[in-house]
Amino acid sequence: MTFLNQALAYGALASAIPLILHILNRSRFRTVQWGAMHLLESIIRVNHKRFQFDQLILLLVRCAIPVLLAVCLARPVLTGSRILEGNAPVSLVILLDTSYSMNAVDASESRYAKALDAACSILSSVGRGSQVAVIRTGGGPTPLFDQPLFEPEAVIRRLRQTRAGYGASDMPAALDQALVTLSGMTHARRRLIVISDFQTGDWDVSGKNSMESIRQRIRSMDIPPELIFLRTGSPVSGNISVDSLDVPRRALGVGQQAIVRAAIRNHGTSEIENARVVLRIDGVEASMSQMNLSAGGNTQALFPCAFEQPGSHVIEVEVITDDPLSDDNRLAAAVTIWDSIPVLLVDGDPGAQPLQSETDYLSIALTPFTFGRVRLSDLVAAQTIQPKDLTETLLQKSRVVVLANVAKLDAEQLSALTGYVESGGSLLVCAGNRLDLNWYRDRMFAEGTGLLPAAFGTPRGQIDGSGNSSRIVTQRYDHPALEFFNEPKNGDLSAAEIRRWYELLPVREGGSSTESVPSAEQHGNTSRESVILARLDNGDPFLIERRFGDGVVMQMATACDADWSDLPMRPFFVPLMQQLVTTLASQVSPGRNIVAGEPAVALFAADTDGTSDGTGSEVTLSIVTPDGSRRTVNAAPRGNLLLARFDGTQRPGVYTLTLPSAKPLHFVATTSRRESELDILDNSGLADLAESLDAEISESVSRYLEQDRLRRHGREIWKTVLAALLAFMFLELVLQQRFAGVRT
Amino acid sequence: MPHSVLHLELIPSPQITPVAMTHISDVLTSNDIGKFASLQVLARQVVEGFCAGLHRSPHKGFSVEFKEHRSYVPGDDIRTIDWKLYGKTDRLYIREYEEETNLRCTILLDSSGSMAYSGSRSQGLTKHDYAVRTAASLAYLMLQQQDSVGLVTFDKQVRRYIPPRARPKHLHAILSELQRQKPEFETELGTVFHEMVTKIHRRGLLIIISDLFADVDQLMKSLAQFRHANHEIIVFQIWDPDELDFPFRQWTQFESLETVSRRHLVDPAQLRRAYLEKLAQFREQLAGGCSRQRISLVPMTTDQPHADSLAAFLALRGRSR
Repeated sequence: MTFLNQALAYGALASAIPLILHILNRSRFRTVQWGAMHLLESIIRVNHKRFQFDQLILLLVRCAIPVLLAVCLARPVLTGSRILEGNAPVSLVILLDTSYSMNAVDASESRYAKALDAACSILSSVGRGSQVAVIRTGGGPTPLFDQPLFEPEAVIRRLRQTRAGYGASDMPAALDQALVTLSGMTHARRRLIVISDFQTGDWDVSGKNSMESIRQRIRSMDIPPELIFLRTGSPVSGNISVDSLDVPRRALGVGQQAIVRAAIRNHGTSEIENARVVLRIDGVEASMSQMNLSAGGNTQALFPCAFEQPGSHVIEVEVITDDPLSDDNRLAAAVTIWDSIPVLLVDGDPGAQPLQSETDYLSIALTPFTFGRVRLSDLVAAQTIQPKDLTETLLQKSRVVVLANVAKLDAEQLSALTGYVESGGSLLVCAGNRLDLNWYRDRMFAEGTGLLPAAFGTPRGQIDGSGNSSRIVTQRYDHPALEFFNEPKNGDLSAAEIRRWYELLPVREGGSSTESVPSAEQHGNTSRESVILARLDNGDPFLIERRFGDGVVMQMATACDADWSDLPMRPFFVPLMQQLVTTLASQVSPGRNIVAGEPAVALFAADTDGTSDGTGSEVTLSIVTPDGSRRTVNAAPRGNLLLARFDGTQRPGVYTLTLPSAKPLHFVATTSRRESELDILDNSGLADLAESLDAEISESVSRYLEQDRLRRHGREIWKTVLAALLAFMFLELVLQQRFAGVRT
Repeated sequence: MPHSVLHLELIPSPQITPVAMTHISDVLTSNDIGKFASLQVLARQVVEGFCAGLHRSPHKGFSVEFKEHRSYVPGDDIRTIDWKLYGKTDRLYIREYEEETNLRCTILLDSSGSMAYSGSRSQGLTKHDYAVRTAASLAYLMLQQQDSVGLVTFDKQVRRYIPPRARPKHLHAILSELQRQKPEFETELGTVFHEMVTKIHRRGLLIIISDLFADVDQLMKSLAQFRHANHEIIVFQIWDPDELDFPFRQWTQFESLETVSRRHLVDPAQLRRAYLEKLAQFREQLAGGCSRQRISLVPMTTDQPHADSLAAFLALRGRSR
């Protein structure tokens, strides 16, 4: 035990005062000549020993009172065996939950504000020479500093500038990184503090196995750290979130109407009537709707919209409501509006007569207004060339390249085409009678390593229709290129008769060719595997897609003219080709709608911006992050293009990259809406979690600091001593009264 | 005999101080005498006496007042035969007379050491001084009403016994004896009273003035002997206020007034309650014993004028007669 006011402890010497008074009283007695001795003596005779004992007890109590008073004023501190640790420095890692659920407001203050205060309080309380590190968990573990610091003040200053609003916390990964950080720290006393709202989702996803592995890892460390959970949130309900925002995945031109679909979820238990839902384009309100949001249900809001200017735009849907968490009330998406899409049509079977060339129907379908000489402008600007004219320069100026019945290309052309697709270009390969199947199989498919998603196999059917013709299977299409035809009024693809086609032998991941490939609905379009978009009624693939490098290649089993099918004769041929080409063109790679944490990559032609001298020198750009800060990004040459990459996209929101031409390029980082479920672990759940990780739970930062003080300094017990003092004073009164009532 | 009426010359009231006492005026002031001038100590029961007085005698014989005739029976004194009536009736009748007799009062004064206590509230008057003044007052009163008064002073034994006399000059003897008394030695009430039972043959009034600091059972046995001899007993118990409320606070060494070797150093606050309980128990035992023996127990405290206490008691006794 130690004393905070040690000098006052010497006041305990005052305990001698009652003793001295007692002795003085006994020595300075008065003498009375007394008559009624027979009354006195009978009492004294019976109670003589008891009088002495009572006096002793009373004297002890009276001596204890000044001792207790002195001890109380000296502020005693109880210390246990850990007093030896004292103010020893500690290696401390704080896992600070910065997910957007921490912005939920409960009791007039956000969870993050409380967490921030708690973290700063803890950092302020560490002993001199302590080594500290803070790892933000939102959107993936992110250290506040690259290295742990010995200056808690610097960490606090930086910490005060941080905000929550990141994506879901990956707690197992964060714990893992924290343990790695701790293992590299210097002090023997190690502590890991998790400050979070302990959302159910953040910990449920990890499962018991990962918790057990973390526990084992902690135990296997040379110096296992103390793990402490500090919760800063309390349960709230009634959250509204915009869960998803569907924008057209095909390329959009100026003036083209697009439908934006927002999925809105009411997490609360009561219906919200007439909620205002607003659509904004580039921050300007473009449309508004009012709708009822049923309790615990999803509601879709549809907004038609059109864009007047080409370029990069941001559309945003926001629910205007007063719920505890506003971060998820809005959701944005980046949209690229094309002025025109340059499409290069490589005609492998040119003809002198109209509609005799392989690409005539296709060209008309892609540029109907131009062909019809109406005053409306086409989105697609098609250029038809012969295979021998295909050059790298032409390729770089094109967004989509169509190989229509091209027999084969020379090696240089193939190399240029491969590079074009790898760097983000789109290629549509249509079959035909002129194809050099061997060349396609060996060079274009190359056992799955080439451009083609499938090898052209056995030709089926007859040109004149004498053989078994086939038709496209009617189904629900999930690929954006074909989903247009999910509406029957937009045409029936099965109406077309496919007289001749090639059997397509697609490639799976690993390179082997097989028939069994996933369909579009089974597979995301980011896979490197071939995806069958549509089949013929005999089971053969009709349209196959596969990503190659940053680009995409689509392969059609039949020709694009009227020789092998009557597709060009069908009314849906125009929208079909338009959809295919614009969808290929819209596969902007890298994408502008990214998951938070993924890099924002822009690939742009330096020439088109007019700022590059064509020598491929590096350019410095600036990017504005969602929190309003401006960062610099270096754009490095990549072929004839410039590539800018920005990795700091952990925070969901809009990132605006300003190109050298001053044109903005928008990226929208989104994150899982798992954090919108504001349910937090209840006390038993948190206790179970703590038990599974051998962790302690601190109910509040003050409680933690108290425990920490106790750990380091001990417990102040002046209140207890004060209570004892009052008890002794009361006891003295009681004893005095009681001892006067001796036996007679 | 007619009632005796007090006719005293009024004397200025002196301060009550323990001074030498050779005259009643040293003890009783004119105011004090006035308080019980019209009162007499009346024996509650018939007492034996020779002189005519206020008290009716149970004896029939030589008296002044005829009571009745009764038939002669063999053995009667032939001197009591009414010969005149014999001449008229030819029957032998005895004349019986009823005589009035005086009261024989004996005052027993405790002169033991415990009577020497004087507290701060008794104006320097010891209990013994107070008792002496009370005894003197009573003696004066008795003699004034033609009753005989005796005095016994004692501590652990009888110091002096003055038999009762009714002569006015007897007061001087009593007062002289009272003046000579100094409180000392231990108390042996039981022994003294037992001794006095044999000395006081004729029944009468016994007035005991004492603090009664003795064993209650033994005391009661002695008093019972007096009662058995048909004495009426009045006990004036003298208290100092200090003995009743035990006002001491600081550490005190109590030394016995009767035995020098008995001393105790105690914290009075520690035993005050016990003392008071013990005192109440003692007084209760005394009161109960006296009540059973039909003895009048009159507590008197030295901070009250003894004449007042005495007058109040006599007035109460007169009403109850």
